[in-house]
Amino acid sequence: MKLEAGGDLGRRIASSLGAITLEKVTEAGFANARANAPRIAAGKSIASLVGAPVGQDDSALVIAAGPSIHRFPDTARLIKESGFCGAIVATESAMAWALRHGIVPHLVVTLDPHATRIVRWFGDPTLDDDALRRDDYFARQDMDPRFREDQLRFNRELTTLVDEHGPRMKIAISSSAPELVARRAAESGMDAYWWNPMYDDYDAPESLTRKIHAMNNLPCVNAGGNVGAACWVFAHAVLGKKRVGIVGMDLGYYADTPYSQTQYYKEILTLVGPNGLDDVFIRLVNPHLGREFYTDPAYLWYRDAFVEMAQQAECATYNCTGGGILFGPGIYWSALKDFLAGKA
Amino acid sequence: MKEVLKGNFATRKKVVAPEAGEDLNTRFEREALKRLGGSIAFVSKKKFLFGLDQAKDEAKEG
Repeated sequence: MKLEAGGDLGRRIASSLGAITLEKVTEAGFANARANAPRIAAGKSIASLVGAPVGQDDSALVIAAGPSIHRFPDTARLIKESGFCGAIVATESAMAWALRHGIVPHLVVTLDPHATRIVRWFGDPTLDDDALRRDDYFARQDMDPRFREDQLRFNRELTTLVDEHGPRMKIAISSSAPELVARRAAESGMDAYWWNPMYDDYDAPESLTRKIHAMNNLPCVNAGGNVGAACWVFAHAVLGKKRVGIVGMDLGYYADTPYSQTQYYKEILTLVGPNGLDDVFIRLVNPHLGREFYTDPAYLWYRDAFVEMAQQAECATYNCTGGGILFGPGIYWSALKDFLAGKA
Repeated sequence: MKEVLKGNFATRKKVVAPEAGEDLNTRFEREALKRLGGSIAFVSKKKFLFGLDQAKDEAKEG
């Protein structure tokens, strides 16, 4: 069986995404950091989380919002019934799934500077029909199907749910987060800890990372390109956990997912047209499952970054997702049940 | 090279040679790269944290 197929253009794009992502996020990230400066100055740093008792043992479970947590309906039950007492660290995009299944994360992480989309994961009190018409991202995304249905009603329910549980959750909020997210986290009563994303090599002359650190004195975190990777970095590098399990980090799509439900579909379609899609989407066989998944350039870049980081980390990493393309050196493939029971 | 390839005739319209690297794939890639970036940067081959010790000291003092 051929382990990788198609996606020649996608691979070339992925190899360039480090530089282009830096170009994409720097201006918005710094602008948001300036807008957040009063909250940062009055708030806490993630330095306060180092050594703090988050969870009761040396393990953590990262919950991301990949499609596998919906494909495996037992995921929430397994977590709740396991008696797992480590830290639960969730992406903001997985918070809705966790809360509606009765799982309250100890720590939620957010970092994306996008001005209007990210607040939706928290419940956006200002959402209306006009906003839905302007951006159909949530009607198309594959991360949480509930966000696709009756969006205004679901948004109201989520807003209530986050307001109810906010005071029980910590949030590691990046200085790059948009002001709407910072305000929403504060208004829901979440306990906020601020940090900077690492933008570039802190040893380089004119380093942007050093520049933002000088602006607000916050620690800088190498976030791996996305919020799921950032959760994993927080689990071991900040909370000091030695066993870190991961669910919902597919970094890819099941073969039966239509291209139209992928993260960058509209952008890719605009650029290459319907006949060029197979040159951008990359197909890979997960050797642990003997099953094919496909991915896009951003997810492939995230995967490669994660594999590099996993080999440097002072923790054991167990991918319990059950699907997707996050496999490689430094990552153990494990059943969620085994990880939760300490058998992995 | 330009001299070697120069024809012995003049064109009616001015011929503008495409910029080097301006083939279709390059153009797609350049445009795609603007839209397909990640959520935040990743810095290869560096530590996970920078500036934590200084921030910890300030947290203690604060």
